[in-house]
Amino acid sequence: MSYTPTDVRRSTPAGPPPSRWRLPRAVGWVLWAAISVLGAFAVSVLANDRGEPVSSMWMVTAAVCIYLIGYRFYASFLAAKVMALDNRRATPAERLRDGHDFEPTNKWIVFGQHFAAIAGPGPLVGPTLAAQFGYLPGALWIMVGAVLGGAVQDFVILFCSLRRDGKSLGQMAREEIGKVGGFVALITVMLMMIIILAVVGLVVVNALKGSPWGTFTIFATMPIAIFMGLYLRYLRPGKVLECSAIGFVLVLAAIFGGQAISTSTYAPWFTYSGVALAIALIVYGFMASALPVWLLLAPRGYLSTFVKLGVVLLLGLGVFIVHPQLQMPAFTRFVDGTGPIFAGKIFPFCFITIACGAVSGFHSLISSGTTPKLMARERDATATGYGSMLLESFVAIMALIAATSLPTGVFFAVNSPAGIVGTTPAAATATISNWGFPVNPAEMQRLADGVGEKTLFYRTGGAPSLALGMAQIFSSFIHGNQEVLAFWYHFAIMFEALFILTIMDTGTRVGRFMLQDLLGSVWPKLGQTNWKPGMLGTSAVVVAAWGYFLYQGVVDPLGGINSLWPLFGIANQLLAAVALCVATTVLVKMYRARFMWITCVPLAWLTVVFFTAGWQKIFDDAPALGFLAQADALAKGPQTSATAALIFNARLDAGVTAVFMILVAIILVDSIRVWIGILSGSREAKNTETPFVLTRLPEEA
Amino acid sequence: MRKFFCFVMALLRELGDENAYQRHLAAHGVVHSPTEWRRFCDAHWLAQSRRGRCC
Repeated sequence: MSYTPTDVRRSTPAGPPPSRWRLPRAVGWVLWAAISVLGAFAVSVLANDRGEPVSSMWMVTAAVCIYLIGYRFYASFLAAKVMALDNRRATPAERLRDGHDFEPTNKWIVFGQHFAAIAGPGPLVGPTLAAQFGYLPGALWIMVGAVLGGAVQDFVILFCSLRRDGKSLGQMAREEIGKVGGFVALITVMLMMIIILAVVGLVVVNALKGSPWGTFTIFATMPIAIFMGLYLRYLRPGKVLECSAIGFVLVLAAIFGGQAISTSTYAPWFTYSGVALAIALIVYGFMASALPVWLLLAPRGYLSTFVKLGVVLLLGLGVFIVHPQLQMPAFTRFVDGTGPIFAGKIFPFCFITIACGAVSGFHSLISSGTTPKLMARERDATATGYGSMLLESFVAIMALIAATSLPTGVFFAVNSPAGIVGTTPAAATATISNWGFPVNPAEMQRLADGVGEKTLFYRTGGAPSLALGMAQIFSSFIHGNQEVLAFWYHFAIMFEALFILTIMDTGTRVGRFMLQDLLGSVWPKLGQTNWKPGMLGTSAVVVAAWGYFLYQGVVDPLGGINSLWPLFGIANQLLAAVALCVATTVLVKMYRARFMWITCVPLAWLTVVFFTAGWQKIFDDAPALGFLAQADALAKGPQTSATAALIFNARLDAGVTAVFMILVAIILVDSIRVWIGILSGSREAKNTETPFVLTRLPEEA
Repeated sequence: MRKFFCFVMALLRELGDENAYQRHLAAHGVVHSPTEWRRFCDAHWLAQSRRGRCC
C-alpha cells in the first residue's frame, strides 16, 4: 500500500498527551530558563580550565541540565511533530499478544528492561580510555552525542519497529532500503560481534593478568552459575529472584575467598599470564556456546543484570555523595595524537573511542528486538527509546568522573603499555612524570598494596583504572576510610568481568546462530541448531574468529587496545550508520522529508568521523596509528616468527577496517539512491507500516 | 514508598522472567510445576540466547 500526505495528517494525534497536573505556563518557562542557565554555567566552569581540580558536581549538573532540556524539548518535538506518536494506535504488544514475546507491559518496567539490555561495559570503558585527552572532550561528546545522536537513533528505530510489528533492524533494512541494505546489516552485525567479543575479552584479560584475587573470584563465578542453573531447574524451579540473591551472596563470598587465596600458598594456581587467560576465555566461550542455556548462560545472565543495575545505582549515589574532584586537566597534551593509551588525534578518535554512552549502533538491535514487543502505548517510546539512552549516557559520565578523579599520573601509569612508557616501574614513572603528570614507583606500590595487587603498572584496557576510581568513591562514602578499598576494587573488577563474560557467552551463541542461518542457506543441515556436529563446528568457527583477535591483542607490544578499541568503535558506528540510514528512509517514506535532518545530521557526523578514523587507521604514516605503516616498520626490523605474526595482524586489521569502510559506502549509496528516487518522484514511497488499529487497552495499561 | 517498592519488585520480576513465566502459565491455562517451568525455560531461554547483549 502507498500512503498520501492526507493519510499522514489523519494519523497525527490531536491535542496534548493526557496529564493530571501541569505547571502554570509562566512557571514552566521560568523553570526551564533557570535549568538552561544553570547548565550553561556548569559547562562554562568545566571548560574554564584554571589549572586546579574541579568538582565533579559541575559535570553532573551540566549533564543533568542538558539531558532535561533534550528530553523536554527535543524528544517531545520528535514524538509530536516528526513521529506523531499516537496512543490511540494499538501497539504490536497488544495486537499480537501471545503471552510470550508480545505482551503490553508497564511503561517503567519496559524502560528498566530496555536500559538493562543496552547498558554494557562500553559506556564504562570507552570514557575511561578517552580520558587520555582530558575530561572535557569526552564529557561534551557524551552529553551532546547522546542528546542529538544516540538517543535519536534509539528512539526512531524503536518507533520504526513499533509501527512494523516489532521487526528487527535487519528485516527493516531489507524492506526499506533493499536486499543490499539487509545483507550489509547482517554482515555488519556479524563482524561487529567478532570484534566486540575480542575487545571486551581483552579488557577482562588485562584486568585479571597476574591477579590471583581477581582470577579466583571470576573463576568462582562459573561453578556458582552452574549451581544456580541446577538450583533453578531442579531444586526451586521458577524462583529466579531467590536464586539470584543466593548467587549474589556466593559471589561476595568469592571476593573474600579471593583475598584469602591471594595471600596463601595457592596464589600461583590463580596467577596467569595474558596468553593463558586468553586461552581460558576461548575455551570458556566455546563451552558456553555449546552447553545447554539453562546450565550456565541463563543464570549468569540474571545475576549479571541484577549486579549491573545495583552497581550503576551505587556509582550514581557514590558520585552524588562524594562528588570527588576531577584531577585530570580539561585537556591533556595528548590531543595532538601522541597519547600512550591509543594513538590518534582528538578528532576523530575521541568520537570513535566513546561509542556506547554517546552513539551506539548496537542499541538499534535492542530497540528493534524485545522492547517494541512489550510496549503498551506508542508514547511510552519517548521515555524508553530516548530516556534510557540519556540514562546510559549518564552512566558514561559517572565512569568518566571515576577515571578522571584519579591522580593523572596514576591514571596513565595504570593504562599505558610497557611498549610506550618503559618496562620498569622507574622508567614508566619517569616517562609519565616527564609528560607533566607526576607519579613515583613508591606511590604506585602503595596503591597496589592497598588494593591487594602485586602491581598496577601496564594494566591497559580501562577496567583496572575504572575499578580503582570506583573503589575510591565506594570506600569513601560507604566506609569513610581506605580500609575497604581492596574489597571495592575487586568488587568492581568482578562486576566488570561478570557482565563482560555474559556478553561473551551470549555473543558467541548469537554469532553461532547467525553463522548457522547463513550456512543453512547453502547446506540446510548446517542450519539446524540442534544438529550437534553443526553446532560444535559453527561454535568453533565463531570462537576461533574472536579468539584470534583476542590473542592478537594480548601479544601486541602496544597493549592491544591501541588496535582493537578503534576497530570496535568503527564497527559500532558502522551499525549506527546502518540504523540511521533505515531511520531516514522511513522518514522519507512517511512524507517527513523536511525532518530528515534529525537523522541525517548525526549520520553525516558519524560518516565523517568514521571515514577519517578508518582512513587514518589504514594509511597514516605513523606506525603507532596506521596499520600499514606499522606493518612496514616491523618488516624493516629483524625478522622472527613473532614479527611475521605481528605484520600479518597489522595487515589483517587494515583489511578489516577497509571492509567496514566499503560496507558503510555501500549502505550510504544504496540509501541515498532510495531517498533521491522518492523525493524526485521516480520511485514510489511504499510505506511498510502496519495499518492503524484502534487500541482497546484502558488508559493506564 | 510502598508504591516504589512494588515497582522495584515488579521490575526485578520482569528482569528475572518471573512475570514472563506467569504470563506463560496464564496463556496456556496451566498451573506451576517443575515440568512446566522447564518447558517454559527451554523455549524462552532459547529465544533469549539468540539475542545479543549490548556492548
